[in-house]
Amino acid sequence: MKFYAYAGRILRVDLDRMKTFTQPLPGEMALKFIGGAGFIAKTLWDETGPDTEPFSPENRFILAVGPFTGTSWPQSGRFQVGARSPLTGVFGDSSCCGFLGPELKLAGYDMIVISGRASNPVYIYIDDDNVEIRDAKGLWGLKTSEAEKALKEEVGDWSCQAAVIGPAAENLVRYSGIFHDTRVAARAGIGAVLGSKKVKGIVVRGSKDVRVAYPDKFQELVDKLSEEYLRDPHIMRRRKYGTPILAELMNEIARWPVKNFQRGMFPNVERIGGERLRSEYRIKDRGCYACLCLCEKPVLIRKGQFKGVYKNPEYETISSLGPRCYVGDLEAIIYMNYLCNEYGMDTISTGGTIAWAMECYEKGIITREDTGDLELYWGDYDTMIKLIEMIAYRKGFGDLLAEGSRRASRKIGRGSEKYVMAVKGMEIPAQDGRAQKSMGLAHVTATRGADHLKAFPILDESIWENKIIVRYGREYLPELGERLNPKYKPFLVKDCEELAALCDSLLLCKSTGTLLPLESGAVYYPEIAMGYSLAVGIQVSAEDIRLAGERIYNLERAYNQRLGLSRKDDRLPERFTKVPSPEGPAKGQVVELDQMLDEYYKLRGWDPKTGMVTREKLEQLGLKDVADELERLGKLPG
Amino acid sequence: MKKFIYADPLQCSGCRICEIVCSFEKEKVYNPRKSRIRVVRTRELIDLPIACIHCYSPPCARVCPVNAIEEDEVVKVIAERCIGCGLCVEACIIGAIDIHPDGYAYICDLCGVCVEKCPNQALKIVTPSQVSQRKQLEYLTRMLRGESP
Repeated sequence: MKFYAYAGRILRVDLDRMKTFTQPLPGEMALKFIGGAGFIAKTLWDETGPDTEPFSPENRFILAVGPFTGTSWPQSGRFQVGARSPLTGVFGDSSCCGFLGPELKLAGYDMIVISGRASNPVYIYIDDDNVEIRDAKGLWGLKTSEAEKALKEEVGDWSCQAAVIGPAAENLVRYSGIFHDTRVAARAGIGAVLGSKKVKGIVVRGSKDVRVAYPDKFQELVDKLSEEYLRDPHIMRRRKYGTPILAELMNEIARWPVKNFQRGMFPNVERIGGERLRSEYRIKDRGCYACLCLCEKPVLIRKGQFKGVYKNPEYETISSLGPRCYVGDLEAIIYMNYLCNEYGMDTISTGGTIAWAMECYEKGIITREDTGDLELYWGDYDTMIKLIEMIAYRKGFGDLLAEGSRRASRKIGRGSEKYVMAVKGMEIPAQDGRAQKSMGLAHVTATRGADHLKAFPILDESIWENKIIVRYGREYLPELGERLNPKYKPFLVKDCEELAALCDSLLLCKSTGTLLPLESGAVYYPEIAMGYSLAVGIQVSAEDIRLAGERIYNLERAYNQRLGLSRKDDRLPERFTKVPSPEGPAKGQVVELDQMLDEYYKLRGWDPKTGMVTREKLEQLGLKDVADELERLGKLPG
Repeated sequence: MKKFIYADPLQCSGCRICEIVCSFEKEKVYNPRKSRIRVVRTRELIDLPIACIHCYSPPCARVCPVNAIEEDEVVKVIAERCIGCGLCVEACIIGAIDIHPDGYAYICDLCGVCVEKCPNQALKIVTPSQVSQRKQLEYLTRMLRGESP
């Protein structure tokens, strides 16, 4: 069987032996696990486990692309990275757009797997079939933008693409990311895994073709979708504002993580929202490979302390470095975002960890004795700017915060655990589950720890009736669209998780690739199945493709189950389940977590009591080997 | 009147869809390195597609040792004659010509597919005089508003 759209090769980099080699991509792997996150889950399952310490040479750093990468499919220019996460200790992956994913496909690889640990800093150089592990001594210590520039200069080709880590990852900050162009695979601390392997970056230059099986029909489908996208008012709004406009919207529904989730609304939202960012700071609009949406809006601060040209902060960053720490100064947020990017850290976890420390300081749990005489007051961005650098270089109090809020609270003790707004050790992003019940559930069921993107169940944010009808029919209305009503939310989260797993595997953007356009209802399993069939040349149905998403998600869950996770780890902080939301449309709400979880496990076909994946479910998904392994280790329910 | 593809650096988002559709139109594959239009994208916020401007006395044609480049309404490479020496690449002032992985020089033939598919309306097929007309208008508008030119 010939597989089009895939490059058909896996690149292995063994840093213990300082050798590289390629393997053919097994056809069965392509069909069962699609690409990206699916390949990562499969590889991590096969090659790492309970004995693999995240920072050990045995852990794998994986970078994978999917069948849509490098084609003209809208919003497909992405890559996925993964490893056993040093932040959560469980399955970890993260997605990034830009241009590197397509370049890797053009160089002829579907996946890079890096194992071992180099004795000196290195970078990986890939020019089609020529792969080298090169010395990176002169690059170690450079900030991300400097490192990327230096790498391109060293290679002498500006059209190559690079992904790098910053000083934070070198210093094993547990929430450091992989940086490429101006985009980031930020979450779960995958950058620190690369840092532990002493790899500063990966440079790729590709000149091969990406071929699809039925070029004309595939391109026709892409053209049709592109037209639909560009007619959609929500896409047009994204093109105009990018994600920051969500600040205004999320504040309106009291879904904001203000003061470490103590409140849901921020008084001066218009000072830090998308409207102001566009009208006062934006220079121009930029997009990633094959992308019709223009999320990137470089900004200019004309004068003052933070004068300069920067990348715009995205919605999550505005929330996390802004209201979460009670900062209401847009220029300070832009600058702190720049610092996090330069040092190479996830802004959500950085803001989340600092907000935890601020609340502990407010409550008297953390004192100046702990912080080395720093005072942590809400909204004090000058201190935050100091802290960000201290975290990146693990200096003083920053050394503690570099561990992430859960680990830090375990070291501090004294009841500080109560203020950790994280699930499975990952800081909860900018959605208060009390104001949107589907998000509350999605945060605990996400396989990489608290996360909005493992499910991205946005259909109840406002009532997106069209999309709900196209996807699920009228029978779930109106409850499915009501964000405070837990009814049907487990159903929504389950379905969205499977779609999201597919997006991470194909790879597609979840936000502008499948959620938007909202008016037409595209893109969903039927379009994806059609695209996959035309691109790869193997006929699959919408149900086949959905099943692949379910398979990938179950494998990620099984990976965590093998590490000992179960229902006991699917917990939200008590703030979300016991303390009613204080204000706005969400006032008085809590997350009805157990009620939703019961139904969710049932829909998933998992053990309702323990939340564990069952043999029956795994076999139904063609994962008998996974069930056997779990049984051998006594990790199956019952 | 000669025509060429004009690209607006402020409208261009750097998404490279023009490269993608060009390589597809010409060779039925997706490969930006086979595209006749190339996007220059840098960290310094430069996003600018470059394609052959079909100049009146093309230096590429003058340096070609085998007369593989002809000029008519458009500048044209006769691939069968081309030996892939790359002298034209050196001669082109704006870097609009390159050697194809299969070993011949290749340039934009003004088919216009990139113009049609650009989601940001950053590309236009224009004549030099259309560009100058637009500039005249912009200049006068600024003058009348009292802005500095």
